[in-house]
Amino acid sequence: MAQNVPIIMDNGTGYSKIGFAGNSEPSFTFPTAIATRESAAAATSSAGSRGPALPSKPGHLASKRGIEDLDFFIGDEAIANSKTYSVQYPIRHGTIDNWDLMERYWEQSIFKYMKAEPEDHYFLLTEPPLNPPENRETTAEIFFESFNIAGLYIAVQAVLALAASWASNKVTDRTLTGTVVDSGDGVTHVIPVAEGYVIGSAIKHIPIAGRDISQFVQNLLRERGETTVIPPEDQMIIARTIKEDYSYVCQDIVKEFRKYDTDPATYFKRYEGQHSVTGRKYSVDVGYERFLAPEIFFNPEIYSSDFLTPLPEVVDGVIQQSPIDVRRGLYKNIVLSGGSTMFEHFGQRLKRDLKQIVDSRILASESASGSHLKSSGMEVNVISHKRQRHAVWFGGSLLASLPEFYQSCHTKAQYEEIGPSICRRYAIFGSAT
Amino acid sequence: MILLEHGNAIIQKTLSDKFEKPSALDVQFVDFDGVRYHMWTPEKKTGILLSMNIRCWDELAKYGAWDVLGKEYGAYLKPPAAAEPGYNVSLELDLEQAPDDPEARDALVKSFSLLRRHALAAPFVKAFQTQKQLDSLPDPTDGSAIPGGELMAIHYRDQEAIYVQASHDRVTVIFSTVFQEDTDRIFGKVFLREFVDARRLPTIQTAPQVLYSDRDPPPKIRDDPALPKAEDVGYVTFVLFPRHFTNPITAEATISHIQLFRDNLHYHIKCSKVYMHTRMRAGVAEFLKVLNRSKVEVAGEPVRKTVTGRTFSSR
Repeated sequence: MAQNVPIIMDNGTGYSKIGFAGNSEPSFTFPTAIATRESAAAATSSAGSRGPALPSKPGHLASKRGIEDLDFFIGDEAIANSKTYSVQYPIRHGTIDNWDLMERYWEQSIFKYMKAEPEDHYFLLTEPPLNPPENRETTAEIFFESFNIAGLYIAVQAVLALAASWASNKVTDRTLTGTVVDSGDGVTHVIPVAEGYVIGSAIKHIPIAGRDISQFVQNLLRERGETTVIPPEDQMIIARTIKEDYSYVCQDIVKEFRKYDTDPATYFKRYEGQHSVTGRKYSVDVGYERFLAPEIFFNPEIYSSDFLTPLPEVVDGVIQQSPIDVRRGLYKNIVLSGGSTMFEHFGQRLKRDLKQIVDSRILASESASGSHLKSSGMEVNVISHKRQRHAVWFGGSLLASLPEFYQSCHTKAQYEEIGPSICRRYAIFGSAT
Repeated sequence: MILLEHGNAIIQKTLSDKFEKPSALDVQFVDFDGVRYHMWTPEKKTGILLSMNIRCWDELAKYGAWDVLGKEYGAYLKPPAAAEPGYNVSLELDLEQAPDDPEARDALVKSFSLLRRHALAAPFVKAFQTQKQLDSLPDPTDGSAIPGGELMAIHYRDQEAIYVQASHDRVTVIFSTVFQEDTDRIFGKVFLREFVDARRLPTIQTAPQVLYSDRDPPPKIRDDPALPKAEDVGYVTFVLFPRHFTNPITAEATISHIQLFRDNLHYHIKCSKVYMHTRMRAGVAEFLKVLNRSKVEVAGEPVRKTVTGRTFSSR
């Protein structure tokens, strides 16, 4: 049979991105939510240890059995049906929490949305860094035993984000060494990767991400008194829209304030909104939050009181904790991924701040050596590209279109020969070095 | 979701998105039974070309697929010679000339998403027509057999096929289906037997008659040389009577449902497995609870502590 295109599934905590290899955008991006008839309280109290609803009349005739196990929705439809069904999120903090729900979630995403027969396709799935190998095994069991898929590859999200950066025209060599700054809705990770392997001991998490920026914009609007015209239920959405449409990263916060004050007419914008129920029109001034919103990455003290380390310092710390022989590669290839890194000039600012930290350290060690030793300097590079928002998915799509992909996959025959433990390891492929 | 949807969700979503905001596009995707689609904007942002490749296209074309598609899509359908290379059918849609009325747009999107269904509908439409013709013929008076229509085979997968044949009072549809997995075969067998039994329920007496046999092909198709000779093949026969297709609306619904029969069957086998796994996981959790309860608690043993006050506990 002619080989069909592989299917790429990137199931994140908030959103799932699914689509076919070779495309530049996922076909579907919807919440990783599943709406079932079971009561939410019963399902969460035991975290999956309670059995599914037993048929009211036992027996093995289909006509006597209910169809409760087919009565569920996923994705946007799950959210839409949240009034009559109970909505649950089977993935927590990147790892799968409830396998029963996840199995059904996959079942419907394959059959209803992808309209593909799993027997005919290879699958590329993603996992967070430091995912326990047992989870890989369970995933492989589900995909090979329930769905009979042809072949499976499980890739680490950070590695896929690195692969996605090959699409940028600034990247000349296809390397899998680099630092990934992955900022989604809930949390920001800084992950060092050396030749396709994640350096687990050096990973750092930052509790500032997309949701916090929206919250910060909302706070600024409220303090200025703009929120009086916005209907309360829309405030968060409008804060998010302002963040996405108007915000950018400035290079110098003091100069930027001065610029706004001397010439408000060009810099202040107006956001025109409409009440979702009554249809009343209103408008909101958009001012300093344009550059202050993403500033919380670089000066977290303006938003949070418990996390105070700026992003460039965290990145520097992560690289300094990594083995010394890969640090040069990590500084040279810092890759952005996720929706919250999409701000204009985000990469330039990160690069500048990081360069300052690195240069001052080099200067200090030069002077400590009594100016006898001269450093050749350290190259710092931050790579932004067009596919940043779905970088992980896009990297998967890119890797799965390579011919080596099929050799690196574990096939159904291999799985049946060896068992689920085969999926503990996957060969790294695709890099030119 | 008990039955799979007839339309393709990706076409539906992409087209409705593009109606809102036209932009450059180039996606490739698939549908059941190895159908491949390519949807892209070759020249300008508003001119969308949707091409489909379907394995059994030659057979479908022979049974009048162009007529069926022509009736459905009219001017959107590109002539056979102009179809995109590598694909069998191409539809062209200019968003600027598409209807403005939201309802008409939705209908258009819906009909585009049903491309595969309409292409596969051709042999069924033809069989329904043949049945009508045969029915109007007078019965042979010399006692010879009543003539039947042509046996139409659609090899829609590598080893599987649908056979459609019209006779004077009925249309017979036979599916051959292969189960690659042993577990699937057993699930499938149970499922299909129950399928045959289910018809005895009084509420679904009017449903088409279903026959199931494994290994031995039904006599009608025994002569087909392309028939796979293997242990793991099952045959499902549906007998459609005129009441299932004389009314045009019923006929359309019949075609939609019967086409997806194989996919629904495999979907439900997978659903049953998922259900079984859920039950198994719950069972294991219960057993583990019992096992843990039976653990003997060691009492009276002195607790050994380190200098810093920590304890060692062995499991």
